[in-house]
Amino acid sequence: MKRPFRDGKIHPPFFIVLFLLVSCGLFMGLKIHIDHIPRKSIPGASVIFIPSGKYLKYATFGYSSLAADLIYLWAIQYYSDYSITERYLYLDHIFSIINELDPRYLDPYEVGAQIAAFEAGDVNLALKILDRGMEKNPDEWIFPFEAGHYARNVKKDFNLARNYFYKASQIKGSPPLMRRLYASAALGAEDYQTAWNTWLEIYQTTRDEKIKKLASNHLYQVKSAKDITLLQEAIEAYKKRYGHHPSDLEQLVKTGLIRAVPRDLDDENYIYDPETGNVESVKIWWKR
Amino acid sequence: MKIKAIALNTFKEAIRDRVLYLLLFFAAVCIIFSRLLALLTVGDRVKIIKDVGLSSLSFFGALMAIIIGTQLVYKEIDKKTVFSLLSKPIHRFQFLLGKFLGLVLTLFIMMVLMSVIFLVLVFFHTFTLEWNLLAAIYFIFIEYLLVTAVAVLFSCFSTPILSSIFSLSFYLIGHLSWGLETLINKMSPGLGKTLFRILYHFLPDLQNFNFKTEIVHHIPVPAKLYIFSTVYGLFYTFFILTLAVWIFRRRDFI
Amino acid sequence: METALKTENLHKTFKLGFIPKKKAVLKGISFSVIPGEIFGYLGPNGAGKTTTLKCVTGLIFPDKGNIDIFGRPHLSLEAKEKIGFLPENPYFYDYLTAREFLRFCSQLFPKKTKIKSPRILELLSLVGLKEVADLPLRKFSKGMLQRAGFAQALIHDPEMVILDEPLGGLDPIGRKELRDIIVRLKEEGKTVLLSSHILQDIEMICDRVAIILNGEIINQGSLQDLISQKVLFTEIVLSGVEPQELTAFGEPLSTFGGRTLLKIFEEDKIDNVLRLIHSREAKVHSLVPRTETLEDLFVGIVKNT
Repeated sequence: MKRPFRDGKIHPPFFIVLFLLVSCGLFMGLKIHIDHIPRKSIPGASVIFIPSGKYLKYATFGYSSLAADLIYLWAIQYYSDYSITERYLYLDHIFSIINELDPRYLDPYEVGAQIAAFEAGDVNLALKILDRGMEKNPDEWIFPFEAGHYARNVKKDFNLARNYFYKASQIKGSPPLMRRLYASAALGAEDYQTAWNTWLEIYQTTRDEKIKKLASNHLYQVKSAKDITLLQEAIEAYKKRYGHHPSDLEQLVKTGLIRAVPRDLDDENYIYDPETGNVESVKIWWKR
Repeated sequence: MKIKAIALNTFKEAIRDRVLYLLLFFAAVCIIFSRLLALLTVGDRVKIIKDVGLSSLSFFGALMAIIIGTQLVYKEIDKKTVFSLLSKPIHRFQFLLGKFLGLVLTLFIMMVLMSVIFLVLVFFHTFTLEWNLLAAIYFIFIEYLLVTAVAVLFSCFSTPILSSIFSLSFYLIGHLSWGLETLINKMSPGLGKTLFRILYHFLPDLQNFNFKTEIVHHIPVPAKLYIFSTVYGLFYTFFILTLAVWIFRRRDFI
Repeated sequence: METALKTENLHKTFKLGFIPKKKAVLKGISFSVIPGEIFGYLGPNGAGKTTTLKCVTGLIFPDKGNIDIFGRPHLSLEAKEKIGFLPENPYFYDYLTAREFLRFCSQLFPKKTKIKSPRILELLSLVGLKEVADLPLRKFSKGMLQRAGFAQALIHDPEMVILDEPLGGLDPIGRKELRDIIVRLKEEGKTVLLSSHILQDIEMICDRVAIILNGEIINQGSLQDLISQKVLFTEIVLSGVEPQELTAFGEPLSTFGGRTLLKIFEEDKIDNVLRLIHSREAKVHSLVPRTETLEDLFVGIVKNT
């Protein structure tokens, strides 16, 4: 048996060194093996089981905004992991926890809505999240602005969009764009009066030449839309009455369906095709 | 003068405690780690850094206060250094007050160190000096004062481990006042409700010193609230210290 | 005459253990210390010596009884300014040097007792710690700590010094040095109250003693009064006479290298033995009369109770 003490230095016995190396090799090898075994559980997913509620904030002993940050960071990683197929199940719950913990933390509302609308395909959830954001942060125009976008572009509900954009425009400090979006949405909801009035107001009050031109184009658009709708309705009524489309628009006046033939904003006539019964404006409003 | 001498002596002793530097190291690691953590977020990065920074200051500072504070008086009694001190012409309250102030000074230095690391990191992200963060730090310090006083109080009659548990409980109860309030609101009026209400007003409400969220979100806080919270903190600390003096006064040192 | 210290009927009971069990440690202690004397307070371990001294210095509060220091209540600041206390097995702040520690202690006294650096150095020289004045206390041996304790007790030049087992754990040279310091303190006019269970030291320096046993003072007075000067026996070491021949006079005890130790109880037998030795032309190597020591008294008292 070798003496462990030699030349003033202590050499560890051979067996100890061997044992260390073997056990180290074993556990490192096992780790590599374990990594290859697919695991069902997702780290941190116990967040899902945190109950939500008014008092969650206080259960964090004064560290609520930190908790909100950490859960938000986790959520971002969680939702970026495409291998977790059921990750959208708790989207509402997770983001409601984050919002409760720190209602003034703005990013999670926006990002949560985005994930809901574009990845989970649930635009109503997106709107719900943004509504919550609006409720807790009434001074932030970004929430109704984004909600309006989702309503208009994803849900195609112009009335809803109109309400959101109106709300956004009423918030102090919101950019003038909000009024314009409101007006456009009003047109989409076929509320011609509001659209006309709003665009007129924008036209009159703006000092930016580009915006002025834009407003006038939109006014053209609104008038055209209104007139065309009126004309199309009359044409339908005519067809019902007489069995065919009128040969020209004057016919509609003669038969008393409309009082006068409207002209577009630039005082030009609308183009009418008696075969199809379609009315169009001379110009395309945005190319005017 | 005598209080000052004891305070400085306590400071010299406490500042040598390696636990402090270990905790300082962890706090610094957390603060700097927040920089990395912030990279993972979508949106406002500075918020993460501020939240982690302020929470670290609050948490590690309280830990320092509890760990050092609970040893403070206990060590003197256990190692019997207190014999040669108290046989000298000083009042017992001067001894206690000196120890408390010495620890407060130590914590102040530690807080300054942590704050500097934190504020420098924030500065590198926003390139502005955010003075309102100092308000949050100031209130974290007032919270330290209370927790220290409690730790010293328990240190007068209990071992460090038990004292730490009690002090930690105090800290947790201090953040759970709302629970008691909810309970009270749900009770029907009567003697029970009145008693609980008295209890509610008596137990410490450490949320009064928690302005971290408001300050990070730049929400203005009325000056009145700042002033009243400060005074509340000072009076409560005074109350705890008086309790400690009372317990310590007639204690036999076997 | 004003006493330096007067204790009257001190009682103290401790409640120890989780289920409080009462233990009466002091059962009516009364004694006085006269200014300028060295007073020994002795008793076996657990008798209540340290408890008494801690009552005097305000570290323990007696249940009953009165303590006056130089006529003033013992808890008052004026009383505390007049005493210096050296606890048993002293322990001080590890990280301070001796000099720093004394400076810290000096700051605990009222400003009027100006204690400056020269005084600190003088004290350190007195207790033999001048060379290690700047060594941290954690590196001090037990004996050195004891000396440092002495220094801190003397720092404000008190009128009375109270020492709890001051010579315990010291080597013989250290004991001599500190005994000399105590005697010197008396010469300077100070009063010393010291407790010990090492009776030889007490015997050497104390003027008066009190003996405490099981919480009661069973004897007190001047050493001279307590220990009779009577000779108990005489020990003679001689050679040249066979031990068998000596049995008539006393007890031959040991025989080594031709010398016999003979213990003689009766005084007149001494002359007989000396005559015998002279007649045989034998040799007397030593002749030592043994009087009663404090130890004898003490053992006797303890055996009787």
